[in-house]
Amino acid sequence: MAKILVVDDEEHIRLLYSEELSEAGYEVITAADGHKLIERIETEKPDLVVLDIKMVDYNGLDLLQEIRNKFYDMPVILCTAYDTFKEDIKSIAADFYVIKSFDLTELKKKIATALETHIPSS
Amino acid sequence: MFEAEVNPEDITSAEFVVAIPSYNEADSIAFPVQQADRGIESFFGNRKSVIINCDNDSDDGTKEIFLGIRTNTPKIYISTEPGMKGKGRNFKNLFQKIVDLEAKAVVVVDADLKSITPKWIKHLGEPLFQDFGYVAPLYVRHKYDGTITNSIAYPLTRSLYGRRVRQPIGGDFGFQGELAQVYLESDTWSEAVANFGIDIWMTTLAMNENVPICQAFMGRPKIHRAKDPGSDLGPMFRQVVGTIFEMMIKFCPFWSQVKWSKPTSIFGFGLGETEMPPPVKVNKETLFQKFQHGFKSCGHILENVLQKETFNKLREVKKMDTDRFDFPTNLWINVLIDFAVGYRDKVWKEDELLDSLIPIYLGKTLSYVRKTERMSVRESEEFIEEECVQFEASKSLLVQVWNKGA
Repeated sequence: MAKILVVDDEEHIRLLYSEELSEAGYEVITAADGHKLIERIETEKPDLVVLDIKMVDYNGLDLLQEIRNKFYDMPVILCTAYDTFKEDIKSIAADFYVIKSFDLTELKKKIATALETHIPSS
Repeated sequence: MFEAEVNPEDITSAEFVVAIPSYNEADSIAFPVQQADRGIESFFGNRKSVIINCDNDSDDGTKEIFLGIRTNTPKIYISTEPGMKGKGRNFKNLFQKIVDLEAKAVVVVDADLKSITPKWIKHLGEPLFQDFGYVAPLYVRHKYDGTITNSIAYPLTRSLYGRRVRQPIGGDFGFQGELAQVYLESDTWSEAVANFGIDIWMTTLAMNENVPICQAFMGRPKIHRAKDPGSDLGPMFRQVVGTIFEMMIKFCPFWSQVKWSKPTSIFGFGLGETEMPPPVKVNKETLFQKFQHGFKSCGHILENVLQKETFNKLREVKKMDTDRFDFPTNLWINVLIDFAVGYRDKVWKEDELLDSLIPIYLGKTLSYVRKTERMSVRESEEFIEEECVQFEASKSLLVQVWNKGA
């Protein structure tokens, strides 16, 4: 069972994602902010991170860069309410992005693709 | 007088190298050398560095200009034998020099760059001291600049090898010194690689070596000497696309296992407001005429290379007039798949086969221009990203067609 870490400062989003993604067959763990996120990833070893871009005290794009530098191939899906974040070049370090919605069909599709992505070792 | 190497300060080792390949760049090489020198001083001052000009024995005084520029960083000039031309040949000399110097990190920049700043050296070089083995450039380019990259090199390498490197033939990049030995020992060297195929060859080998790759954001657009696309397209197209197809043959066991793609780390932001690239004018009527005429003159080759269904769809596209012209992405993908297989199976003389793809590529370019003409640079980037996803989704078809023909 793939383990997904959901990072979002809105509690109802964390709850929604936890319920829906658990029903879809994933093990879900959550974080309310970016505090000690790298350590958390190191200890919990998720297979994928779903990351909110705009959190009260954290910029999701900066966290994305930290994750990418430490865990080169960790799949990261950015979640956002608006698509203006694409103006920031850092956003292309994400595997995918989704516009936040109560319908998680798109998110689930992207999660499945991200987990399916495979590059063999040479 | 020909000199294979001029090493005024007798440099025998260096940790960091900035290399500038050239052929007859006397009027432009001074600026990138000066910027490289400032970049080295500002950001790599504690590392033993050298600037190397790897030249094709230019007869316009490139060597004298290069050696005469006052720099704080020592310089070395190396050249291919007289008459031996080609960007790739310059790189072969460079690889050997890097091995001899035991350099840890190498940054390469074009000799005709007008927009390079010292920070380009920083952004291309720094990741090499932080575990990254290959650093590709990330420029903001005008939506009609770099169409071989947009239509072929980027989507194909991304879907083949699974790494999202937006400028795989960017010309300005960095690599760890250790890779030079890999390049020297590779058995995939060819005449195309000895020329303009070198950039895609180096990027592809780095991907196949599973070297950690990142992209460095340059902040400024790449502005260099304007070239006439019409006169340059043939050889460059053949060498780049031919190299991509050659590498597909060699690395089939690797790419056939790749599913979808992964992004890379991005370095170099914090450069302030991004400067937008200068506009690139495109003549739609010329593209249309070249597609029409090329289709007619190369029809017999296309009929041999393409599957019947693909050829028939292409004929339907040919019937469209300029105002309604639309080249579907899926058709373009099928064309490239058939050409890659046709190249491998040698169904036609190599150069003629690659040349016959040029008018089809120009038709695809026309369609791209029409679809994106009202789009901003960012929107056209998203359009290209969507096309890349279609390439990735067609990967199983590629594997199927490739294996069927083998």
